[in-house]
Amino acid sequence: MAAIETREKVAALGEKYKYGFVTDIEMERAPRGLSEDTVRFISAKKGEPEWMLEWRLAAYRRWREMAEPTWARVHYPKIDYENAYYYAAPKNTPLKQSLDEVDPKLLETYKKLGIPLHEQMALAGVAVDAVFDSVSVATTFKEKLGEAGVIFCPISEAIRDYPDLVQKYLGSVVPTSDNFFATLNSAVFSDGSFVYVPKGVRCPMELSTYFRINASETGQFERTLIIADEGAYVSYLEGCTAPKRDENQLHAAVVELVALDDAEIKYSTVQNWYPGDEDGVGGIYNFVTKRGDCRGRNSKISWTQVETGSAITWKYPSCILRGDNSVGEFYSIAIANHFQQADTGTKMIHLGKNTRSRIISKGISAGKAQNTYRGLVSVHPRAENARNYTQCDSLLIGGECGAHTVPYIESRNKTARLEHEATTSKIAEDQLFYCTQRGIDPEEAVALIVNGFCKEVLQQLPMEFAVEAQKLVGISLEGSVG
Amino acid sequence: MSASAHWLDERRADAAARFAAAGVPHRRIEDWKYTDLKPAIEGANDDAAVEWSIRTHPDSVEVFDLASADAPGWVREHLGTLPQNAMAAASLARARRGFAARVPKGVAAGTVDFEWSGSGSGRALIVLEESASLTLHENNRTDGFSNIGVEIVTGANARVTHLRVANRGANAVQVEEYAVAVAQGGAYRAHLFNGGAKLSRAEFQIALSGAGASAALSGVSVLADGAHADITTHITHAVANTESTQLFKKVAGGASRAIYQGRIAVAEGAVKSDSRQTAKALLMGSRAEADLKPELEIFTDDVKCAHGAAVGDLDLDSLFYLRARGIPEAEARNMLVRAFLGEAVDEIADEALRGHMWSLVEEALAGAMQP
Repeated sequence: MAAIETREKVAALGEKYKYGFVTDIEMERAPRGLSEDTVRFISAKKGEPEWMLEWRLAAYRRWREMAEPTWARVHYPKIDYENAYYYAAPKNTPLKQSLDEVDPKLLETYKKLGIPLHEQMALAGVAVDAVFDSVSVATTFKEKLGEAGVIFCPISEAIRDYPDLVQKYLGSVVPTSDNFFATLNSAVFSDGSFVYVPKGVRCPMELSTYFRINASETGQFERTLIIADEGAYVSYLEGCTAPKRDENQLHAAVVELVALDDAEIKYSTVQNWYPGDEDGVGGIYNFVTKRGDCRGRNSKISWTQVETGSAITWKYPSCILRGDNSVGEFYSIAIANHFQQADTGTKMIHLGKNTRSRIISKGISAGKAQNTYRGLVSVHPRAENARNYTQCDSLLIGGECGAHTVPYIESRNKTARLEHEATTSKIAEDQLFYCTQRGIDPEEAVALIVNGFCKEVLQQLPMEFAVEAQKLVGISLEGSVG
Repeated sequence: MSASAHWLDERRADAAARFAAAGVPHRRIEDWKYTDLKPAIEGANDDAAVEWSIRTHPDSVEVFDLASADAPGWVREHLGTLPQNAMAAASLARARRGFAARVPKGVAAGTVDFEWSGSGSGRALIVLEESASLTLHENNRTDGFSNIGVEIVTGANARVTHLRVANRGANAVQVEEYAVAVAQGGAYRAHLFNGGAKLSRAEFQIALSGAGASAALSGVSVLADGAHADITTHITHAVANTESTQLFKKVAGGASRAIYQGRIAVAEGAVKSDSRQTAKALLMGSRAEADLKPELEIFTDDVKCAHGAAVGDLDLDSLFYLRARGIPEAEARNMLVRAFLGEAVDEIADEALRGHMWSLVEEALAGAMQP
């Protein structure tokens, strides 16, 4: 009985994707298909210098020789890379100077998504870069950030205005040859955010990028590069949504983080791409490469992700702990429902002395979804006194879903200490009983228990995102009594 | 093995084709990521056959030499029928020597004590009929490259205790495949000792295919400089109410390498599966390496699965505690290492076997404590 109820309620969740609307706006696209000409088209659209075009073309040629990876526990029909659009931008969006020049339809779209772009209306303390398909349509609080010396702009602007910084760091964490999807991204990336926080500066506000896919048959390939110079601190948030469509759309992003001596970067994601309907039709293929390089001593990079959307998620935000005493963290909640497939986790590569890492992963599977944690902790011979603690817990709701754990633990230094714990279970009957016996209705009890299950991760989110994330988790919890 | 039998030729040809298709495993194959077999066995003689000898066996156990003709029905029924990876296919296709043993229904047979030596391929088949029980005491004393495939087929409520000892061998490249089918109410308990061959790879494919079936694996690897010990397990909870536990402890000295890969799969509908998996390694050598990969593959909700893994040095607080009580450091370290390994050794219920395991550990420990 309870199981049937669960299935019904879980089915109802499919109705709750609130961001499935399409903005009717005139778009300009690259011709369908992928060739050197597509790459040249995109580069020309962005008005890029020659070195950038060459960089893209080199990646494109490399990509032509690469094979799509098949090791992840995700299944999908072969993607026809020749039959998609790689660039789509709203017409009449020349380089904008102020928000007043932005197409009101776009402003309206973001308002509907809950991301007001007018600064007076915006959440206090959060600067937003709004990326709509292949272009950034607005960036708020640029002046205020500029006063602090913080550069926060679309990456296409950065290539034009700060070529030295871009050339120095772009591809230095995720090389163009890194993997199939990252290489594709390097060839055709359109927009994304660029952040540079100078020496000793603590970024005065939260930075945020909101990615929106709108155009059909179009992939989104954003590229984000964040550099925290010596002693700098920045907290960056990323959100994303897409319309409901029967087709699958590809999102292949690359995010690179560089933390120099004593710097700290906190990167949070609430990923809510359209997950497809309850029969598994449509949804975004989210094939993303995210990596942080703790290049300096005492640096710290912390990834927090709440993954609720996408038909397929393939994503392993990682840390290279190069600097001595550097710290890497990964906090993750991955919720997969209906026919969603998530294969996500992290890599912690300990190279420097006294490096520390912490991994907390919470996977929740429901419906017919498959949810995999895949992670690597690797201690290299010179990483004296490296420390890792990993905890990955899976919760299953219903008898037809899957939860999988694939951790790799590799140590080549005898002074290192690595600990890994994992559990898989359904919601404990005794906890449910304890709650219901005290008059809490089963629905609420489940919410309570699963909130507790995810708490360690939710706590890591900046306040502005924690609210949204909690709501998202809450929605997925409804009807999980079983 | 009996060359003339048609049924056997067919199975061997199938296996040979499977092996030919897969090839010798190398580190780009995920399951062999940490053990690169290809370069390790270059130039090995494919046609060699290991020697086997059964030192003692109870009269109630029927033994058949696989090299002789006219295999009895139970050998024809089971030989080469359990799932095979590439190397198991190779051992089936190539082995010209080996044995089969059968314990009849309801017989509590005692111990079959057997040994492998020489180099080349070998094959064994152990069949337990309903409610039978048996202890296997296996010694791998091969040298050079050996590839041994063992199948253990059990009837309902049958119980197997399996002590497998792989000794140190500076030139030994030992590949072992164990395929075990545990039926309803049956139990398979295995205790492994790895004393540090140049390369050892022991892979277990265990299917818990009847309600109440259980598997309990424990093992210690005590590795001196130059040793490479890979224990890989795949346990499938195919039906409801099955249980598995695993506990592996490793001490790696010098430039040795200790590997554990364990995959637990719980099939859809296999509710009330209970599985625990622990692998821990102590690195003693400054160039020692441990690679652990405890994997879970769960397709149903009502299960209890947990795994833990840890790699590190001896606990400094414990060391301090002992030294503060006047115990010299070397001795304190010895005590702590024994305590660490003891947890896994103590899984052996039989006192004599446990004592034997301790003597093996003692013998190997000095080498494994080398920095």
